Amino acid sequence: MQQLFELNELVQELLMEILQNAFVIYASFCILAPVIFYLVSVILAPRKPSKVKKIPFESGQTPFPYRINPYPIEYFPYVIIYIAYALLALIAFVTSMSLMESSEALIAGIIVLSLVTAISIYLSLYLKSLTQKLERGVV
Amino acid sequence: MPFDHVQFLINVLNSIPESVRTVIKYTFSEPFVKAVIFPGALFGIILGLFAVWYERKILARIMLRVGPLHVGKVSGILQLVADALKILSKERVVPDVRNKYSFVMMPPVALILALLLFAFLPFSPEWIIYPSDIGLLLFFGVLAISPLPIILAAYTARSKYPFIGMTRFALQLFGYEVPLFIALTGIILMARSFDIIKIVESQRGMPFIIPQFIGFIVFFITMMAESERIPFDIPTAESEIVSGWHTEYSGVYFLMIQFTSYEKTLSLCILASLLYLGGWHGPQIPYIPETVSAPFWVIFKALILFTILVIIRGAYPRVTIEKVLDLGWRYLIPIGFINLLLTIILLGF
Repeated sequence: MQQLFELNELVQELLMEILQNAFVIYASFCILAPVIFYLVSVILAPRKPSKVKKIPFESGQTPFPYRINPYPIEYFPYVIIYIAYALLALIAFVTSMSLMESSEALIAGIIVLSLVTAISIYLSLYLKSLTQKLERGVV
Repeated sequence: MPFDHVQFLINVLNSIPESVRTVIKYTFSEPFVKAVIFPGALFGIILGLFAVWYERKILARIMLRVGPLHVGKVSGILQLVADALKILSKERVVPDVRNKYSFVMMPPVALILALLLFAFLPFSPEWIIYPSDIGLLLFFGVLAISPLPIILAAYTARSKYPFIGMTRFALQLFGYEVPLFIALTGIILMARSFDIIKIVESQRGMPFIIPQFIGFIVFFITMMAESERIPFDIPTAESEIVSGWHTEYSGVYFLMIQFTSYEKTLSLCILASLLYLGGWHGPQIPYIPETVSAPFWVIFKALILFTILVIIRGAYPRVTIEKVLDLGWRYLIPIGFINLLLTIILLGF
């Protein structure tokens, strides 16, 4: 009985903590907003299911059961380069604070950034002809 | 006689049960007001509705039209409420998709993520839902997750237009996520903090748009691409791929997607006003206390940026996918790195 009472008190305290936290209240409202939209739609919207409505939209053409979806392969190198760039950007983003702490870190940071900048400029000049090379099948 | 009235009022207030009094007291408490009224849910929704009306009016002016006029007494202000009700009263059509639950759940998830962005945006040192030392990181954490529901929604749709829209969206994301981070690193270096409040406070003397002008241009362009606004709306290009990744959505799901788009754009505009335009720092308005004038300046600056976005939408055509990727990869990334290098050299020596 004593344990149950303590648990009840703990739950009450937790509830009070939650009710005093603006972020938790706001997050609850964020979750509630789509639910309210949906409920209003349930009240207002008609329900007339039909087989035609289940077919994917095809701009007025007759839908066909299977297809090969095109993927623009000429831009695939960009995706690969993205991995390297994203990592560099993330490192720069996170370590930017510690860069200014000592002169050694600053100099090292400037050297690395100069290299990265030079590489990015070189790549920007090289990428200009990359898609054309792919189209010709040279690369 | 007036004393009797006061006494009567006191008696009435005393007769209210304790539980009801606690609820009333709670609704006027600081956390509840921040979460529900300002800068929380109600403000986000009203700002979103206002932004749609404002955009339609400005676009109409650019095209020498009048825009919304008849619904509501003043300039068709209630047109959006009518539009929202119309969309809500449309049938919720769920086509024959790969996974029905995933298809139905993605628009609400996208909306929740877009609304959550407002939690990390301060409108003054006091008016913030979730103050944090790493507020900027948290904002970009949520922003980084926000493409996931879009990609999943398009993938589950089992239709050609959403799939093409998804691949375009992914390519655009690859091109513009990196310059966005590089541009922001310059700001963090100057303010030496990830806390948005501290970043704004360090702009007391001079807004960061002056020393970080190159960074601001990079940020503004990536912001446009991130929020899929014209001229960077290739994932949803109407005249090419119907409606892109959300072609199969209708009714309430379509409304949620539209709302998500506007909330995301507005939150990015507010962030830009905080990071580059000095946030709540502005001329003191006579007879207005700072608790009111501070949010006013933030919203005013954000609306200026939003107006520029709308004017660009009205004045420029959509750019092709090659040009969008070219701009992101060949220009914005090197410019971003040059800006970062200049910032470090400027601050170090």
